[in-house]
Amino acid sequence: MASPGTIISGIGHVGLIGWLIVGWGLTSEPLEIQTMDVSVVSGEEFEQMRARTTPDPGDADPTAPVPPVVDETPPPPPAEEEPTETAPPPDPVEPPEAETPPPPPPPAPPETEVTDAPPVEPAPPVATPPTPDVDVSDAPTPPQAQTVTSTITTPPPPDANVHDIVRDEIVEDNSAEPEVVQEEQEATAPEETTTAIVIEDEAPSAPVSLAPATSARPSARPSLPTPPVETASAAEEPASEEQVAAEPEPSEDDVAAALEAALSAKPDAPAVAAGPPMTGAERDSFRLAVNGCWNVDPGSVAARVTVEVGFSLDREGKVRGNEVRLISSDGDQGATNTAFEAARRAILRCQSGGYQLPADKYDQWQDVVITFDPSGMRLR
Amino acid sequence: MMKRLLTLVITLMLAGPVFAQSGPLRLTITDGVIEPITFAVPSFEAETPAAQQAAADISRLVVQDLAGTGLFREVPATAFISQVSSFVQPVAFADWRAINAQALIVGAVNVNGNQLSVKFRLYDVFSGQELGQGLQFAGTADGWRRMGHKVADAVYSRITGEGGYFDSRVVFVSETGPKDARQKRLGIMDFDGSNVQFLTDSSSIVLAPRFSPNGDRVLYTSFESGFPRINVLNVANVGRQQLQTAPGEMAFSPRFSRDGRQVIYSLSNGGNTDIYRTDLGTGQHVRLTSAPSIETAPSLSPDGSQIVFESDRSGSQQLYIMSANGGEARRISFGEGRYGTPVWSPRGDLVAFTKQNAGRFHIGVMRLDGSEERLLTSSFLDEGPTWAPNGRVIMFSRETQGAAGTSSMYSVDISGRNLKAVPLQGGASDPSWGPLQP
Repeated sequence: MASPGTIISGIGHVGLIGWLIVGWGLTSEPLEIQTMDVSVVSGEEFEQMRARTTPDPGDADPTAPVPPVVDETPPPPPAEEEPTETAPPPDPVEPPEAETPPPPPPPAPPETEVTDAPPVEPAPPVATPPTPDVDVSDAPTPPQAQTVTSTITTPPPPDANVHDIVRDEIVEDNSAEPEVVQEEQEATAPEETTTAIVIEDEAPSAPVSLAPATSARPSARPSLPTPPVETASAAEEPASEEQVAAEPEPSEDDVAAALEAALSAKPDAPAVAAGPPMTGAERDSFRLAVNGCWNVDPGSVAARVTVEVGFSLDREGKVRGNEVRLISSDGDQGATNTAFEAARRAILRCQSGGYQLPADKYDQWQDVVITFDPSGMRLR
Repeated sequence: MMKRLLTLVITLMLAGPVFAQSGPLRLTITDGVIEPITFAVPSFEAETPAAQQAAADISRLVVQDLAGTGLFREVPATAFISQVSSFVQPVAFADWRAINAQALIVGAVNVNGNQLSVKFRLYDVFSGQELGQGLQFAGTADGWRRMGHKVADAVYSRITGEGGYFDSRVVFVSETGPKDARQKRLGIMDFDGSNVQFLTDSSSIVLAPRFSPNGDRVLYTSFESGFPRINVLNVANVGRQQLQTAPGEMAFSPRFSRDGRQVIYSLSNGGNTDIYRTDLGTGQHVRLTSAPSIETAPSLSPDGSQIVFESDRSGSQQLYIMSANGGEARRISFGEGRYGTPVWSPRGDLVAFTKQNAGRFHIGVMRLDGSEERLLTSSFLDEGPTWAPNGRVIMFSRETQGAAGTSSMYSVDISGRNLKAVPLQGGASDPSWGPLQP
């Protein structure tokens, strides 16, 4: 007599097996995993962030330059605009444009107290872009911004709806699928951001330009596929629009176009051989057939010359017009002539009734190039 | 994404053959065969009744020359399917292909009084084409052998791409009598041992004859005065001239410079032997070595810029190379045994030598840095190599063992094949191969 525990265990196992058989849980969609890019914030930056929220004028050096930032390459300031910079953001958006001029190198902070700055990611040397004709400030300082990202977002209009969740503007689209009805909503403007952390005490009283006079700019990080920038205003992100337009999703027409392009490539390549390729045995058989007639004179100067000859075969395996042409040689004229004649004799003498080659692979062997290399037969 | 993948897959499937199988079929052949090239020589056409014998003789001589190299093999006339009765008739290549004749030589001989002319054509049977253009030689009737050699030289050169050596002569030391009373005199012959003539009598010992670059003179060492002296002999009139040396000096082992105006040789004085150079026009002497050891057997490079010689300065007989003007020498032989009588190849890439090791003598060749040493022969006594004009064949002396031993001359291909004796009546040694005759 089974114990109650055994009965309960049996019922549980049977239930579990049955659940598995029925398939519950097996057809479930995999859980969506949200990923998020993170950046390492150095101790230096952390201290600066703390200092920004709890300033301590006594510790701050009012003349210290902005410490170098470990940064995803920020886009350069527009030449004619008031530049802003952003510090390494916690959730950066990669600035992928390869042609993006690199940022200015971090100014040498001789007096900075920060010593544990993370190493700057080495960047390959790049050509210094032309210096924009802008006002030059001695100490470029980013403007104030509450949010730090890798990209600069200009301040939204005063009447914009600023929200943490960025949503695209949805308008009524008659061309889209009409059955999908979406409620109209107002686009949200991204929060104003900057690319650098600025200590409030260090902020200059007068706005200055971020544009450097002349400085080698580190290159952008390796380009990654540019995701469509999900910003609210298309007018503010024209580059993203262009990228989307440049990489349209392939359509049925694209597949057809690929087919057509591939097919149309064949007439441009007349040497293309159709059908199955020659097998190793078939190639070896051909090679052996010529081997037997290649008479090498080891004492000749021609034994030190490798020649490459070409010829065409008809469908019977015979050399067309008995014409064998010299393609290349690594010897002088006299030795080359002798080596070529030996190769030519070999090819013509051994063809007698035609080389035995698979007729269904004629396209594969109608043109032949043979390299005669006597290096292994030289006198030693 | 799926559409993009589909596009890629379709493109690759269709374009795949383009990348994988485009272009001609490519093969590399590294192993061939080493066998003689087959050739056929139908008896040359006799264009006049008087040319019957000469046509037959010249045909046979061409066959002998070519087959004697070891690089060619005659297809016997008994295997011929068709005959060539006329020099101008079209060639039935299929008939010659059928008997596997790779080359076909067709010729005609004309004899008019004492004048003889011979012409020939060479065909590549398997391509059905003529190799080069027809050639004709003319001379006196008694010079038919030279004309036959010239035909063979032309055929050899067109097929191998190298110069021939059939129309050349060899000067040598003819030997008669027992070893302990051997009589020696200078002789000259065709490369194949025919047409032997003597240049000196047997009244004194002669050694080491050496042809001049154009074959008009011969240097040799004579003991006519009791001491070795160097003589210059004019081949045409056998007139002699002695190289001047001081009393008590012994001069030997001479060779002409490449321009024939100077002689390099060994001079022994006071027990020391060094290499000297003497201008035949001015008689000026230049000492090229000054070592307490024995330096001898100098041989100039084809361009005349360097000299290879033998020396025992290292304690044993070895080969060295130095500038033609003397100076520091570098040793090139490092194998076991002793090396001597070096001779620079006409091609300039090899040095032939005599090697004595473990009681045997060898004729060998090595590269200029001493590498790739190959011994071509081995016997009781092989020595004194000399190169054919094309640098393909080496002739040397071989002496058999014992009191009744005789000396004879042999030739060998530089591949070590085709070793054979030069057919001569009597003994012979110390050959020196002359240039191709004009």
